Parts: sequence; C-alpha cells; structure tokens
Amino acid sequence: MREFMDEVSRFLSYYDLIFIGRAFLYTALLSLVGSCCGFVVGCGLAIVRIRRLVPFAPLRWLATAYVEIFRRIPFLVKLMLVLFTFQFMGVDVPMFVIAAITVALAASAFCAENIRAGLESIHVTQWEAAEALNMGGFSILWRVVLPQAWRVIIPPSMTYSVGLVKSTAIASQLGVPELTYAAKVLNQRGFSVVLCFGTILVLYFILCWPLTLLAAYLEKRLAPPGHR
Amino acid sequence: MSYTVQFSQVTPYMGYLAGGACLSLQMAAISFFAGGTVGLACASVLEYGPAWARWPVKAYVVFFLNTPLLVQIFFFYFALPDVGIMLGSEQAVLVGMSLNAGSYLTEIMRTGFRVLRRSELEAAETLGFTRLQTIRHVIWPHICKVLFLPLSNQYIILTLTTSIAAIFGVEELTGRAYNVNSQTFRSLEVFLIAALYYVGLTFVASIMLHMVGYHVFGIRRKVF
Repeated sequence: MREFMDEVSRFLSYYDLIFIGRAFLYTALLSLVGSCCGFVVGCGLAIVRIRRLVPFAPLRWLATAYVEIFRRIPFLVKLMLVLFTFQFMGVDVPMFVIAAITVALAASAFCAENIRAGLESIHVTQWEAAEALNMGGFSILWRVVLPQAWRVIIPPSMTYSVGLVKSTAIASQLGVPELTYAAKVLNQRGFSVVLCFGTILVLYFILCWPLTLLAAYLEKRLAPPGHR
Repeated sequence: MSYTVQFSQVTPYMGYLAGGACLSLQMAAISFFAGGTVGLACASVLEYGPAWARWPVKAYVVFFLNTPLLVQIFFFYFALPDVGIMLGSEQAVLVGMSLNAGSYLTEIMRTGFRVLRRSELEAAETLGFTRLQTIRHVIWPHICKVLFLPLSNQYIILTLTTSIAAIFGVEELTGRAYNVNSQTFRSLEVFLIAALYYVGLTFVASIMLHMVGYHVFGIRRKVF
C-alpha cells in the first residue's frame, strides 16, 4: 500500500497530468468531430432512402448497401481499411484524420439507421396530408416530419454517441495520442497497470456517464405524450 | 499511384481466414451466453433483490456500460496477474467481453421483466391456469416477443466486437488477417476480405435470426 501511495505521488507530476489531460481532450475531440461528421452524413443517407423524396431506386439501394455494409464491419477492421486506403492513394494525412474518418464512417451508418427509424415512425398519412396541401417534398420533411421525428431520433443517437466515445479507444492502435495510448505509454514508463489503466477508465467514465444520463433523461423527456 | 490492388496473393489464405472466422463465431457465442447468464442474474437482483445487493450490481452495470471494452480487457489482461490470476489472451478477452456484454444484457433483461403486467397474470389466474401453464402460455411468449430483437442485435454486435481480440494476439478473423498481412504485405486486400467475411457472417446471422423471430415468435419487424 505504501509503495502504491509513493507511486501515485510520482504519477501526479506536472508532465504526466498535462500528458493525460491532452489525451483526454484528444479523445473528446476525436469523438466530437467524428460523430458530428457522421451525423451529417447519416442524415443525408437517411433522406436519400426515403422513397417519396428520391424516386430513383438505384440511389436508394446504394445508400442501403452503404449502411448495411458499414454497420457490419468491426471498428478495428474499418480503421485498417481507412489507413490502407490512404496509403493506397499515396496521400499522406495525419493519423487524427484517419481516426476521425473511421469514427465518422461508423457513426454515419448507425445514425442513418436511427434517423430512418425515426422518419418511419411518422405515419404515412402525415405525408399524404402535407402533399394534399401542395407542400414540396423537402418542405414536408423539414416542416412536418422532422419536427415530430426528432423525438424518436435523438435518444438512441445520444446512446450511440457513448458507444462512439468508447470505440475511439481502438484508435490507439494507430498511435494517435488519445487516452488508451497515453495509458500504454505511461505503463511503459514504469507505472503500474492498475494505476495507468485505472486512471483512464475513470476518465472515460467521466466522459461517457453524463452522455448516458443525458440520453436517459431525453428518452423520458421527449417520449411522445401517450408513451410516458 | 504506386499501389495496384492484387488479390491473387491473398486468395490462398481464404481458408485460413475462414478458420479464424469460426473462432470469432465461437467467441461471440461463448461471451453471449456467459454475458446472458450474468445479465439475467444481475437483472433479477436489480428487480427483485434486496437493497444492499442492488447497489453493487448497479455500480457494475453503470461502470461497464460507460468505459471502453478495450481498456477493460487491458485491465484484466495486465492487472489480474498482479493478484495471482493468470489469464491467457483468449481467456482475458472472453472474460472482458462477457462482463461487458453482461452489463448491456442486464439492461435488456430488465426491460423484459418490466413488460409483464399484473393484469396479465391475474387474467391467467382467473382462467384457472396452473403456475406452469401461466409461464408457458402467458409469461414466456410475451417476454420472448419483447426481448428477441434487442438480444439478436446484441449477438450481432458481439460478433463484431470479437475483432478486438486481435489486439491481444488471439488468432481469430482479424488476428489472422494481421498474420496474412505481415506475410504478404497486401494490406488493403487482406482487410477487404476480412471485412467481407464480417459482413457475410453477420448478414447470414441476421437473416437466420429474422427467420427464427418470424416463424417461432411471430415478430414481423426486421432484425437487420
């Protein structure tokens, strides 16, 4: 126990704290950038899959294929694919970009699915009624369907964003300096495993728990009146 | 462009990769059932257990839900030997995955416990059902219908999660893809094939689960 306390006091040096703090911000930034890009792309994909807006079937199939395929590839394999695709194209990009693109790919497929489920939860009669009022397709989507659908879309998307934060841990395989990588480095510098990985487990928890609570709160708050 | 895609060097390893896929499936199944057991136990404690037991279970679920699986496995793999528990890499991954899946499955099982309404049980009693008949005809079908979709989704997610084992040197699908990569240096091709395997595996699993759900439990919604 005494040794452990000594180690903790060594661990709490200025440089280690800065190092871990940066890694924490890096993880947060990676998740944020990735999930925002992913959400935008996912919105696009979900809209493309609406039959009423996109009468051109092959485009819908393409969007469906994209979603189905990217949902079914593990994050690690996706990471490797993105990495080697950039290598294949001979483009030299920072590792952060590769990690962020992978997060965005994962996020886009899952968001597209969530958003589609939300849009489909709105009854067809709403579309028909709006069409009868001579509203345009996108106008219906924006003014009639989305205001009702976002209640269904937001909670699972929030829950999924927690999953994204957690999957960024795998990006440590590329050597981007996020939390898991920081723990590995500190471990190699001689700090014990319990201390290094324990610390970052707590930090991940600090990052994810508020999101989980927010998702749970929103799920209760946004539930349609009849389902409370 | 200095790189040309060439699958011919990788195709001899297709069988080798398929062997890895078998191990992936096996690991997914083991962790699903182990996690299911953990989940069922924890969910019953949370719903019906005494207050002193509920608190640690709740802590377990919340902590495991909000930290990355990779770090959890790192912890089991490197920290448990300090207290004298030696785990092989595959065992460490399985323990980590089972405990992680257990926390998710606890949440899922809890919703299963909650769907039962008192009125349903009272109706069964009114009809003169015995306890066994109530379980067989009232409780079981209702719980199955509610739990089937989330459980099958969880199974698919677990199949994908097994790829993390590659980081610990387990030779499942991704691990074998790493091996082939280091032998042939055909990185893009190897990982494309591995990705195809994963898509194929989970797609077949989705279709089978959909058929089971449709024919056995009468669930009309899509599994995938």
